[in-house]
Amino acid sequence: MLGSLLTLVFVLVFNFFLFRVVQTDPIGSLFRGRNVPAATLDNLRSAFGLDQSLGAQFLYYLRETAQLNFGISYQSRQPVWDEIVAAIPATVALVGISAILSAVIGTIGGVVAAWRRNTWKDHTITSGTMVFYSMPDFWLGMILLVGFAVVLGWFPVGGMVSAGSNATGLARLFDQLHHMFLPALTLTLAYLGEYTLVTRSSLLDVMGEDYLTVARAKGLRDVVVRNRHAVPNALLPVVTLTAINFGFVLSGAIAVEAVFSWPGLGKATADAIRGPDLPMLQGLFLLFSTAVIVFNLLADLTYSWLDPRVEEA
Amino acid sequence: MRRLVVLSLAVLVAALLVPAASAQEEGDEVVLRIGLTQDWETLNPTSGFAVSEYEIWNVHYATLTDKAAADFETTPGLAESWTESDDGLTFTYTLREGLLWSDGEPLTSEDVAWNINTGRDQGWDNMASTVGNLDAVVIDERTVEVTSSVPDPKLPTLDVYLVPQHVWEPIATDYDAATQYDALDGVGSGPFVVSDFRKGQSVTMVANPNYWGYEGGEPAIDQVIFQLFENPDAMVAALQQGQLDAIQGFPAGSADALEADPNIEIVAGQQGGFDEIAINGGAIEGQPHPALLDLEVRRAINFAIDKEAVIEDLWFGLASSLETMSPSADPKWLPDIPDENRFTYDPDRANQILDDAGYLDTDGDGIREMPDGTNPIVLRHAVNTDGDLAGPIGELFLGWMEEIGIGVELASYDQDALFGVIIEGTYDTFFWGWVPFVDPDPMLSYFTEAELLNYNDANWTDPVYEELYLEQKEELDPDRRVEIVHEMLTILHDAAVYIPMYLGPDLQAYRTDTFEGWVQQPAEIGPVFFSNSSPSYARLTPVGGDGGVLGTGNLLLWGGIAAGVIVLIAIFVAVRRSSTKDERE
Repeated sequence: MLGSLLTLVFVLVFNFFLFRVVQTDPIGSLFRGRNVPAATLDNLRSAFGLDQSLGAQFLYYLRETAQLNFGISYQSRQPVWDEIVAAIPATVALVGISAILSAVIGTIGGVVAAWRRNTWKDHTITSGTMVFYSMPDFWLGMILLVGFAVVLGWFPVGGMVSAGSNATGLARLFDQLHHMFLPALTLTLAYLGEYTLVTRSSLLDVMGEDYLTVARAKGLRDVVVRNRHAVPNALLPVVTLTAINFGFVLSGAIAVEAVFSWPGLGKATADAIRGPDLPMLQGLFLLFSTAVIVFNLLADLTYSWLDPRVEEA
Repeated sequence: MRRLVVLSLAVLVAALLVPAASAQEEGDEVVLRIGLTQDWETLNPTSGFAVSEYEIWNVHYATLTDKAAADFETTPGLAESWTESDDGLTFTYTLREGLLWSDGEPLTSEDVAWNINTGRDQGWDNMASTVGNLDAVVIDERTVEVTSSVPDPKLPTLDVYLVPQHVWEPIATDYDAATQYDALDGVGSGPFVVSDFRKGQSVTMVANPNYWGYEGGEPAIDQVIFQLFENPDAMVAALQQGQLDAIQGFPAGSADALEADPNIEIVAGQQGGFDEIAINGGAIEGQPHPALLDLEVRRAINFAIDKEAVIEDLWFGLASSLETMSPSADPKWLPDIPDENRFTYDPDRANQILDDAGYLDTDGDGIREMPDGTNPIVLRHAVNTDGDLAGPIGELFLGWMEEIGIGVELASYDQDALFGVIIEGTYDTFFWGWVPFVDPDPMLSYFTEAELLNYNDANWTDPVYEELYLEQKEELDPDRRVEIVHEMLTILHDAAVYIPMYLGPDLQAYRTDTFEGWVQQPAEIGPVFFSNSSPSYARLTPVGGDGGVLGTGNLLLWGGIAAGVIVLIAIFVAVRRSSTKDERE
């Protein structure tokens, strides 16, 4: 717990200096070619505190962040937090669903592959998921996009809802799912391999254990031996992997979001780097780091709950 | 169990495919769909700056004076006429009769005066440079008098976006409040007004019943939808499939495929945007390589650069050649550089110039030294990692310079860092670009002393240029002003410090089978939308009286669904068979 908090504080400080390693003038850069009088630029620099010393800016940043005030975006002139909150649902829906699907399907695949090791099922599952895992996810996304959206025309080529549609209720939900299908499929396929491999090797370790022989000797059906005795013991590393991956749900899909024009946090980050929009970047990075730290903490806690031999640190 | 899962999956996939049909049917509404790749940060016209945002304002807000589609000539807008005082400082505008905002409130001279005076007092980003010296006085409901404190050749043009006073006055209490307002009130004065804004996704605009300037008097389009694509290839595909009617900013590599489609027209629209290789002119001493301070060396570098190759190879021939800095969307401001003064690609001549000037390779390492035999000429070329072409141009530059015995070290910076490097002057050359306004003054101002350490990215000044700049700024005779600007740009050209590579086009494409009436601004060379005042929207009409609604789409769609279901059933049967076989083993 304390470790997590300390990490968070470190991130908070580090974020501020990370974006200021190179002494730059984001206002000058953003306003280049905009026919804005020099006096206006100077006013903006002072409004955003950029004319103050780094130390003063840092103290201001700490004080404001402590009050959960992340400042005003240079580009949109809206509060950073509002901008981020607006982009969270899109990313959580897409990456969250994909993370769940890849964890569930990948784990089941790994169990089947291990239980039927060296059969055609094992080979198909292992090599199939590895092919997707080793492909760059944006490339896989492009292939699916060209195949299913461009050539076949079954799915929209991008976005989260049909532009201009004012559908509500169920129709809207279906519209969103329709748009989400390809990006979610891409991310699910891309991350299946991780789960399959980890589950498979973990289950193979367990399969040599004496207690499984005992279970079989008791005359239990194969399915019961697998589901009640082998799998629960093999799941520990999978739980850790899942928790860690969930920490990246918020930040994990910049490239795929770009391929499918998905209006999430990945896109917000890419946009903020232009400029750079320092308050926006600080807010985003703080959010990403917090998510990773929280889920790691959860993983630790779950781990000791699942396996009492692991003492709480 | 397994059968259930597969069946429900099949039903789900089939269900997901259905909305594609309903999304394309807009009932009886005529919808113009436009794809673009640049997001909107804000729709607030006082503080936003993206090209995508300007396009929305061009459609949402009418301006006091308009610009002719063909040549940017100042034409009546909200004002139907104006008179000029003898000293040329005061203009009295008469508004059209019966003007209304889109919400039905009257649009009067009060609105105009409030915008000019408040924009000036609060210093709104996008208005300050236009209205900074102006003062507006209401004479009566339809008459407003605008006085400039200095001679201003831009007048009577007043093309700032006028926001509705009755909505904004309570909100815009100071600069922060005005520039941070989200401006989603939907009240406008142009042909279409914003009805829905989804950041990162789309902007929907609906016809404004109170707009006076539709071609034919009535709006021919009910809705305009701008849809954002992060992925330009997907956008191109959507146009080809008929899901979009027009696209802005397609990748140059897609031009051939789009051109091959008989129902698609492509436009490489020019409005003055250009890219340049800037040479550090050393106005702030000691920073550039000393050789660059010699005009002959800069001339040699100019002669060694093969601009035509860049236009052909990097732009697929879609860009146009350019001899000097382009200060305006209007080509009339560009001087004609005589052939004998042009820096036409000629590496032999470049080498000759360097030899004659005494820059020889004395130690035989392939790189020339200064005339005293020291300090090899190796240039620090800054590459802007935010620009698509900066990397390839950097590599080409390295090759061109190698031909004439000049070394190049490439250093990469993101845009913001490069901006800092330019201000520090710790570079020799870099590649970047500009998109000018219609009035040439802002671009011209960048090469003056006042802009050193700010936007003067040639780090160069010239006393004659400086004098002419001040002269054109207050020259009220339009023809004389063009002459002065031509002279300035010729000086900049001859100084060989700012190498214009090409006029970069806005690559646009539109379907010819859905809407007609696209207008290029300026005529023949300009883009059909995302132009300076975007005149197309009020003039477009559906081809054959029916918008972008597709007829064959549904047939294909249901065919697709049927195919999908069959495939799923086949998979289901196959899995079923193999699993029972497995269990039997």
